[in-house]
Amino acid sequence: MSWLSGVVYLGVGSRVPCPVVFNRGIATSSALNQYYKKRSDESRGDRLHFRRVVLFNKRVHRHQKKDVFRPFEKPSDDFPSVPVHKYGTRGTGIRHSYGWTSVPEKVPQLIVPDLSECDLKPYVSYRTKEIYQDELSAKDLFNAVYGKKILKDYKEGKLDEHGNSLEPSEEEQLTPEEARTRARRTGSDIFLGGTPRSKKWNIRWEY
Amino acid sequence: MRLLPMHWARRGAGDGLDSGFMTWSKVYANLPERYMMRKAYKLKYKPPVAHPAFKQAIETSRIPEFTMDRPWSAAYWEQHEPHAPVQNNYVEPILDEDWMWFKGDRVQILVGPDKGKQGYINYVVQEKNWVCVEGLNCKYEMMGESRNFPGMMIMREKPLVVTTDIQLVDPSDETPAQVEWRFSEDGERVRTSTRTGHILPIPSAAFETQDYKTPVGYRENQRTDTPASLVQEITFEPKLCTFEMDIMESEGIVETRNPPRTYWY
Repeated sequence: MSWLSGVVYLGVGSRVPCPVVFNRGIATSSALNQYYKKRSDESRGDRLHFRRVVLFNKRVHRHQKKDVFRPFEKPSDDFPSVPVHKYGTRGTGIRHSYGWTSVPEKVPQLIVPDLSECDLKPYVSYRTKEIYQDELSAKDLFNAVYGKKILKDYKEGKLDEHGNSLEPSEEEQLTPEEARTRARRTGSDIFLGGTPRSKKWNIRWEY
Repeated sequence: MRLLPMHWARRGAGDGLDSGFMTWSKVYANLPERYMMRKAYKLKYKPPVAHPAFKQAIETSRIPEFTMDRPWSAAYWEQHEPHAPVQNNYVEPILDEDWMWFKGDRVQILVGPDKGKQGYINYVVQEKNWVCVEGLNCKYEMMGESRNFPGMMIMREKPLVVTTDIQLVDPSDETPAQVEWRFSEDGERVRTSTRTGHILPIPSAAFETQDYKTPVGYRENQRTDTPASLVQEITFEPKLCTFEMDIMESEGIVETRNPPRTYWY
């Protein structure tokens, strides 16, 4: 006897109906094997008759393939509750008793940046010379942001006894607290902690 | 011109994988090594689920043998079965850096019907210590024979073993010579003839690929290639903000909220 089990994955504290996964399988215990026993070969004992197994996951029998891989959302007559296996795609219409209507709002709109001014192409010419660039360090960033101004002030004699500028720019006026809050505003890339997701083990919860 | 770091980087398979292909066999193809490995190594076992019950390793079958067709080409797999046993080919081991027979080198053949003749190397199979000399040591085969058609004769160079059937030619007197890897006065590792001491330069054809004869002579595809001048241009200006903050600024998104102060105890 084949059984049907729907495995429902619920999010923590959620009340939204979640997708149901249908798993069909066969019981191998002899008491439930009656349906699959070949009537003509009763003397050869219990044998599983796989042609009668009806599976709706990807492990289908070739005769049941048309029930699973249906081109449209029309349910099959024999098993009306079984959904079509769509490989994760989402339809762009609605199937109803009178037919199928396409819904333009369901068609995904791809938002692509305007590349008319972009001269970069998918491939790089073999003629390019080897480009060596060191990693941008904090020192390089400091030199780029503050360096020029400091040199200019030093040459013009506009530095006070502690080395601070007499005419500070916007960046030079920042206090440590203000710089700290700025670094943690929207768009911050400061790592906040936690363990990275394991690539080897498919762990859903880590205790 | 020797292989530069950028050429070596292209040859790497990545992830600490060793493809088993040697340098001069794959230079002409100019393909990413991960592609060549994917085509050459056939999958034997892959764990169905990332669970400790299954051995978490991917097993591939080894290449049965190295022939004139490259193991990443379709022609090779037309002649070979996917999981065939590995052939016991005994090859004299020559280190990758000690290989001294390049495409375009002038050599003299020492065996066979073309003994004594000189020619230029056409094709290199480093894994088998093989080399083909252009137009010499050939076999002639008829293709496409049928009742009404006599067929076409095709001339194919037979491979020669590098250590026994071939000798590099000294350019100073155009006679075969024993060649060794030595260091020149500039500190460069070069091939020198032991008899005369003359240096054998590496021919430019050794660095030729499917896509170009020399990188400088490559003809840029107008539709798909970014020109070299544009690639070498540096447009990055260091700024005191992250990438996301820079985009916010250019889009005109102003953020005035401050995140609350957090403390570590």
